[in-house]
Amino acid sequence: MKDDKTTQNGTNRRKFLKMGLLSGATTVAGASLLANLTSEEELKASGEKIRVLTPDGKMVEVDAESINNYPEAHITPEESRKGIPGRKFVMVIDLSKCKNARTCVESCQKAHHLDYNEEYMKILLLQDHEEADPYWFPKPCYHCDEPPCVTVCPTGATFKRDDGIVLIDNERCIGCKFCVTSCPYSVRQFHWSHKPKFDNTDLPYSPETSVPGEVGTVMKCDFCPDMIRQGKLPHCVSSCPMGVIYFGDKNEDMVTNGEETVRFSELINDRGGYRYLEHLGTKPNVYYLPPVDRQFPLERGFDVDEEIIERYKDVPYVQDMKEKGKI
Amino acid sequence: MDVTIRKKELVKEFSPMLLKPSKWSKIWMAILVAFILYGLVALVVQLTKGQVVTGMRDNVVWGIYTINFIFFLCLSYSGAFASGVLHFFNTPWKNAVSRIVEIITVVSLIVGPIFIILCMARLDRLHYLFIYPRIQSPITWDVIAITTDLIGCLLYLYLTFIPDFAILRDNSEGLPKWRKKLYTSLAIGYQDTPTQRRRLHKITKIMSAMVIALAIVTYSVLAWIFSLTLQPGWNSTIFAPYFIVAGLYSGIGVVIIAMYLIRKYFKLDHYIRKAHFLSAGVILLITALLYGYFTFSEYFARWFSHKTHDANLLETLFNDYFWMFILANYIGILVPIAIVFFKKLRTIKTITFAAVIAVVGLWFNRYLIVVPTQETPYLPIQDTRPEFVHYSATWVEWALSFAGVAAFVLFFMLLMRLVPIIPMSGIIDYEKKGKVRRDGLTQQQQP
Amino acid sequence: MKFNLSTYIISFLLFGLFVAPNVMAQEINLRDYRIRFRFKTIKQPDQSRMLEASFIAANKKDRKDRLPVYGAEISFFNVSEEEKVALGTAKTSKEGIAHIILPKDQSYLTDKEGKFTLRAVFAGTDEMKRQEREISTKDVQLSVELAEKDSVQTVQVNAHILDSLGVAIPLEEADVIVSVQGMLSRMVMDEGTIEDGTYEFKMPADLPGDVDGNMTVFAIIEDHDDYGDVVQKKTVEWKVPNSSNQEDENSLWSEVAPIWMYVVLTILLVGIWGNFAYTITNLFKIKKEGQKLKTEPMK
Repeated sequence: MKDDKTTQNGTNRRKFLKMGLLSGATTVAGASLLANLTSEEELKASGEKIRVLTPDGKMVEVDAESINNYPEAHITPEESRKGIPGRKFVMVIDLSKCKNARTCVESCQKAHHLDYNEEYMKILLLQDHEEADPYWFPKPCYHCDEPPCVTVCPTGATFKRDDGIVLIDNERCIGCKFCVTSCPYSVRQFHWSHKPKFDNTDLPYSPETSVPGEVGTVMKCDFCPDMIRQGKLPHCVSSCPMGVIYFGDKNEDMVTNGEETVRFSELINDRGGYRYLEHLGTKPNVYYLPPVDRQFPLERGFDVDEEIIERYKDVPYVQDMKEKGKI
Repeated sequence: MDVTIRKKELVKEFSPMLLKPSKWSKIWMAILVAFILYGLVALVVQLTKGQVVTGMRDNVVWGIYTINFIFFLCLSYSGAFASGVLHFFNTPWKNAVSRIVEIITVVSLIVGPIFIILCMARLDRLHYLFIYPRIQSPITWDVIAITTDLIGCLLYLYLTFIPDFAILRDNSEGLPKWRKKLYTSLAIGYQDTPTQRRRLHKITKIMSAMVIALAIVTYSVLAWIFSLTLQPGWNSTIFAPYFIVAGLYSGIGVVIIAMYLIRKYFKLDHYIRKAHFLSAGVILLITALLYGYFTFSEYFARWFSHKTHDANLLETLFNDYFWMFILANYIGILVPIAIVFFKKLRTIKTITFAAVIAVVGLWFNRYLIVVPTQETPYLPIQDTRPEFVHYSATWVEWALSFAGVAAFVLFFMLLMRLVPIIPMSGIIDYEKKGKVRRDGLTQQQQP
Repeated sequence: MKFNLSTYIISFLLFGLFVAPNVMAQEINLRDYRIRFRFKTIKQPDQSRMLEASFIAANKKDRKDRLPVYGAEISFFNVSEEEKVALGTAKTSKEGIAHIILPKDQSYLTDKEGKFTLRAVFAGTDEMKRQEREISTKDVQLSVELAEKDSVQTVQVNAHILDSLGVAIPLEEADVIVSVQGMLSRMVMDEGTIEDGTYEFKMPADLPGDVDGNMTVFAIIEDHDDYGDVVQKKTVEWKVPNSSNQEDENSLWSEVAPIWMYVVLTILLVGIWGNFAYTITNLFKIKKEGQKLKTEPMK
């Protein structure tokens, strides 16, 4: 009996979550509505443990509330092909604000159970030409409207949804890697070997969470539809301390970085928003705002692991800096 | 009857090849089997540990498996093409080479796809290709094209075998029982009656045309796997014809090498003669010129227009791959041309040498098409792990590659044990046409 | 089943063993921390009122080091000069926040001006001092009217308070934020001031609504000295839903391919396989003839 009840409860909640669930989420959000969304508490909550103080003056570490309510909000691979009705998700990345703090990378890795070198979000150091200063370039999946990766997939393991998101069903993937070679943005990565973390079956697999991984299949940034369904922002967006990344529904013409919400069309038109490698005709859903009037000097971005600085060794600017002994 | 006697003579001549393997061929087979076993070990390692044991990583996801796949398929394609042409136009010297070519076609078409299967990480899900097919994907086209091509080639090969099976059935004495049975069932009651003959001739002719068409389609599809992507270095409109010409080039090369080896080991000097080498050499020259022309156009256009990403690719080719580039695209083309171009240089040995250079050069040419492009994507690779920046094949990949080559040779040798490498029915047809045996074949064969 | 004392103790110890490593208590010097105890009240759209206390220890030196106080019991009261009514208690969450919600028809101890005083109290422990905050607020009636005026979609915000006799007195001056609810956040459209109880804002015509063409407009008075936080919202079907979504067309990246691809593939396959079939039937004919020859031996 008791079991029955819980499963029923579960399905109800699942239905509720699938139905758009935002009207529900709003009332909840309404409660703490004036609490600052990107406060430190929120940041820490995205980790597995948070530190708190007990009333008797001791500091303890407790499990953070589970960020993804996987079992309840579980969307099966079949259901995940549909997309959230009436939505069209876009991301805008403001290059003038990025300082390579890497919180987007790290929070994404945590949420998707990725290893140190597995990054759905990559931060490149690009230099457009010799005269230009380099700039930090966060690169998620562009969720193209005319995605070459989807075109070439022989089994439909990767697919384009109505809401604009391109996902991978790793239970369908045969590991041919054609999508990897066809993506002009090098977004896709591969599970080359089996890892113990894949055996964790606590969380049923869903293409919307990309967890758990599976050997011999591809992986990439998924725009966190599991979070969106809960009315929350993707991990990279909510974790960025600089508010570099805006995310939202293009149909509503609204994007938010967690602090401010602005009109997508105005942001793009007033700030000269562009899409990377537009000429390839893939029609990405990730836009960039050019790195003008930068808020941080580039050097601030070198306050990272030695290993990560090493990645940028081929950029002429970095070579210069190294010669001068500044890095 | 003259024909019946002649058939007996021919069977007598060829049966040692079929029945009594020489000591050397036994040794060779043992070596080949050893290579294949080593490859199987590598396969087990790859299957248990995953593709992490290969040199493939996130940037270069297609390595020498893919290169071998293209390489073998291109042998198959050019074999089919050549054999189709030989049959369709009833070329005078087809007898000497047609069976060699046909066997190459089928054997490489069996070995080639094994490599693309090795490149797929989830072999347990291979059937998804048929359960959830998406016909927009060039891989689906490839699957359809290769299976169709394989069946077409097998059918065609079988058609060309039937008259010989019949001859072997009727004329050989002292055959082991199983062989006799095999030949009887394979010959499907072919008695060389005029109606049977006409019928067989008709369908062989149609199939020979079909096989040419199939080969072109299959190989174009293969080229499209690369050229339909957006990658600099792959996204080229001339890739399909370029691949076809390249395929012909390497195919002719392998045919020449096979001719040389068979001639040498089976002492078939009177069937496979210098004239055949010279003709094959001329075809090698023509395809070399065409292939050189395509290669030049391909790189010249990229160099001249030097779009940023094309320029990056060329820079990689000329720096990191300098020697390979020279070997593949200079030596691999110019040396065969030089050898075959001058009449004085044309001997059986030099032509075979040119063919070896062509085949090796072409394999490296494929390498240069597949790997460096993946190492120079649109967005720079910013990674500290060397294996993610540069591809280099591991022992597993090499072991399986050599196993593939070994399997190719082994299949070839086994098929040669089944039917004579020179079609006997062809010899009879040739002689029947009233053409005088001016080469004195009978005199030579009886010492 | 029977539990005796020793099993009880053992299970308790075992339990402790397993739990202990997870909850690693650590002594810290509370002197390095400044305790921040904050209290506010929010009047929500459904007229209920939320009391929210936030309890956080912030390191004096390291700005990033903020520790929410977890599990502290906060009691809420409505106080006047003579009386003190307990409203409820709540424990702080892992974020250091405790809140209770008072229903719409909750009655308060008010003074002549309609003002009432709320108090949040943390009783204190041996280590942590007692905390207490008080706020005084008036019960604002905020309403949002959405109407088209001269074919311009207009948001009108009205606000008044009721005096002790139940007479509505328009708000003299209060800052108000008008915002629109999106899927993931609210977008601020305008910040203005309510004067004489009303404020008007013209909604831009090109702003699309949500999936159903609805638009939910919020009016918020935030952190006002006299009124605290007041939130009101209203939904109207004002807009045509914007759908730039792709139709389910036959494209390279859809599930179903463009028609011509099926046509070409079918033609090719039928042609080729037809030919194979033709070849095989001919082979059978050859076989048949061969069998015939066998049965009637050659003349």
